Amino acid sequence: MKIIQLQQVSIGTLLLLAALQGCAPTVKIEPPDKPIVINLNVKIEHEIKIKVDKELDQLLSDDKLF
Amino acid sequence: MKSMQLKTLLQKPTLLLLLGLSLFSLNAFAMSLQEAKSQGYLGEQLNGYLGLVQNNSEAKAVMDDVNNKRRAHYETIAKKNNISAADVAKLAGEKAIAATDKGNYVQNAQGKWVKK
Repeated sequence: MKIIQLQQVSIGTLLLLAALQGCAPTVKIEPPDKPIVINLNVKIEHEIKIKVDKELDQLLSDDKLF
Repeated sequence: MKSMQLKTLLQKPTLLLLLGLSLFSLNAFAMSLQEAKSQGYLGEQLNGYLGLVQNNSEAKAVMDDVNNKRRAHYETIAKKNNISAADVAKLAGEKAIAATDKGNYVQNAQGKWVKK
């Protein structure tokens, strides 16, 4: 009686483990085959705009021109 | 030494005339830019240059002179930052319109002159 119960439990656990194994996601980490490109154009454009802005502010302060 | 120089200068009225003219040319226009703007002859356009609101030869002379100077400055700034002069001019136009005093003329989005 007890043996049967133990067998049932162990089979149950084994089945459960097998089922869980199937659920476990495999995460594969692969290095990218292409080089990583980070686009800095936006930042550079923004910096240029700030610089031009500042230079124009100086220009606009000249009351012979504006 | 100094008095000698002055004497020779006085002996050459042409030189004096030139000196006087060069001083005068600093303000060669009968109308200043600020006057032309406040009197409603000139206004700020969207393109960063002055435009003629009412026809007046004096105001037009001021406008052409100032616009040429502006163009030179725009080109300098553009070259320095590797962008087009038109972009610089457009940005300058936005700023100039924003900075225009009340009562002066600016160009609206439809290209019409409006009193600010």
